[in-house]
Amino acid sequence: MAVVEVVGVKKDYVDRGAGTTHALRGVDLAVESGEFMAIAGPSGSGKTTLLNLIGGLDTPTAGSVKVDGRELATMTSAQLSDLRRDRIGFVFQAYNLIPVLSAEENAEYVMELKGVGSGARHERIEGLFERLGLAELRHKRPPKMSGGQQQRVAVARAIAAEPAVVLADEPTANLDQATGRALIEMMRELNRERKVTFIFSTHDPMVLEQADRVVRLVDGAVTSDDRKAGGAL
Amino acid sequence: MRTLLKMAWRDLWRNRRRSLINIFAVGVGLFLVLLYGSLVGTVMRAKDQLDDGGMGHIEVTAPGWRQHRNVRQALENPKSTVTGLPLPPGSDVSFRVVSRGLATSARGSKGVAIHGIDPAIEATVAAYVNKLRAGKPLAADDERGVLLGDKLAEDLRLQVGQKVRLMVQRADGEVGADLFRVRGIIHPLSPALSRSLVLVTAAAAQRTLGLADVAHQIVIQLPLAAETDAVAERLRTRFGERAEVMTWGQLMPMMKVLEDMMGVLITVISLFVYGLVALGILNTMHMSVLERTREFGIMRAIGSRPRRVVALVMGEAFWIATLGVVLGLGAGILLTKLGSGPPVLDYTSKMGESFDFAGMVMRSRFIIELPLGESLRAAALVYAVTLLTAIYPAFRVSRIQPAQAIHSV
Ligand SMILES: Nc1ncnc2c1ncn2[C@@H]1O[C@H](COP(=O)(O)OP(=O)(O)O)[C@@H](O)[C@H]1O
Ligand SMILES: [Mg+2]
Repeated sequence: MAVVEVVGVKKDYVDRGAGTTHALRGVDLAVESGEFMAIAGPSGSGKTTLLNLIGGLDTPTAGSVKVDGRELATMTSAQLSDLRRDRIGFVFQAYNLIPVLSAEENAEYVMELKGVGSGARHERIEGLFERLGLAELRHKRPPKMSGGQQQRVAVARAIAAEPAVVLADEPTANLDQATGRALIEMMRELNRERKVTFIFSTHDPMVLEQADRVVRLVDGAVTSDDRKAGGAL
Repeated sequence: MRTLLKMAWRDLWRNRRRSLINIFAVGVGLFLVLLYGSLVGTVMRAKDQLDDGGMGHIEVTAPGWRQHRNVRQALENPKSTVTGLPLPPGSDVSFRVVSRGLATSARGSKGVAIHGIDPAIEATVAAYVNKLRAGKPLAADDERGVLLGDKLAEDLRLQVGQKVRLMVQRADGEVGADLFRVRGIIHPLSPALSRSLVLVTAAAAQRTLGLADVAHQIVIQLPLAAETDAVAERLRTRFGERAEVMTWGQLMPMMKVLEDMMGVLITVISLFVYGLVALGILNTMHMSVLERTREFGIMRAIGSRPRRVVALVMGEAFWIATLGVVLGLGAGILLTKLGSGPPVLDYTSKMGESFDFAGMVMRSRFIIELPLGESLRAAALVYAVTLLTAIYPAFRVSRIQPAQAIHSV
């Protein structure tokens, strides 16, 4: 079953004065569990808009978005909150973390929202941080971390509560080449090892190389959908 | 909950200066209100203020006595009556045989107020009984001894050990006179009492007036002034037609009006101070919340419900209020400790040690007193004001659209 199913989705931003922007003009997309998928496209093509709609952060003007088989349009805002908490991980471009919480506390935050006890949380975070080479960051707060470290902790937080899908909106855009590559490789490994489904947007060719599947957006419409031979699927 | 309070606490210290100003504003606001309230409260309610004038929160008299001061209008068996009254624990109660009279010495005569008392019992409601300038206290079985107010003794040129004649109108209408000896000279703070008060034992007063075992006035001091009306009501049911029960508000209406005015004034001042504090908090919290729009957007995006971010903002207000209250109460307690030494207001040079005002004895030195109940009430008000103020910024935060918030770096 598809984890994410987008059918005929349109999104218009109505702006007094500037007029209406057709950010998405009818997008269809199905993402299976375990995919490592990129949404590519130039700036302004609608990548962020699409990820926001999939994550239930915004509502489409037309069409349907399903996550885990559940139609988002029928859900209340509290139900959407819970869906995000339980089924979706987010990584944004930068400043993902809650500044007053340490790396570890940030990663535990979603689990705590879910009501996971502190013992179980610690155990899971310890293992995860160990695995991701973040162990020495555990007690650091975001303002004391580099951009790359922050993004890695953000990925750890996104997968900590074992979501059905992680949505990453240009996660490497604020990082230098090497750091960006390391981040994508970390995501790649998590995808292989733990079957975490990733949908990330980018316009960086280096990042695109890593993806099994690349969906291209131009002006709010899908222009191509390529699967790499030998990919996970 | 613990995480929220922890986050709120840390958020508070991100902008240290702003938070300290808020905490300080709350603390100083509370302190000012406490200070002002305590000054007023000290004047009106302190037990020693009542003791200085030998007054009570409640007075019980025989019907009609208050208007006519006829010694026949009296309450029977005062001592047993007094011990059986339904009063809250910690109350002090005494009874008096009261008469006007004329005191005569070798030097002349003065109109006086004669109080027949049980010295030990009367001392619990009237400080002057034991404030001896000269001589000895009055013994309970001393049928011939008197204590005189110091001004009176001066006017009559009377010394301890000398004789004084007291003349009264007896219960049977005849003139009665008795010879007493001055045992002591007392110093009532009230200038009026100092000029006119003569204390004798109840038995001596009854004998001179030709009365049986009766008294004219029962004086009751309660541990809490606020209970006055309730206790007075109980006493009215208890005595029915046999006695008049009056509260200090009825006996000293001027004082009551003043106290009510002070109450209104304190309320106005409190509203003003808290209003300013609230405006400051509203402004800074609103600013701090707007600055963190993105952060709240992230919290919402990763699954926090709106009420959780509301709780976070309220948590910050909670800490501001808590620290402010600690500061305000702390300063209050500190000043109370210091204030029991040097008084905060001292009019001794202009008014003398004390003055009579609207039927009460006022000391010219005002010291600070923070009654626990009122301090806690003021502190609770501070919490309420701070938390209520935080509702608006919290509401704004709850309305944040995560998609927009996250992209508004
Ligand atoms: N909140 C918004 N209000 C108005 N227009 C918007 C808003 N968000 C995005 N847009 C417009 O929608 C189009 C798609 O934007 P976006 O999804 O951010 O593209 P991308 O992420 O690919 O750069 C752009 O033309 C952008 O200006
Ligand atoms: Mg974008």
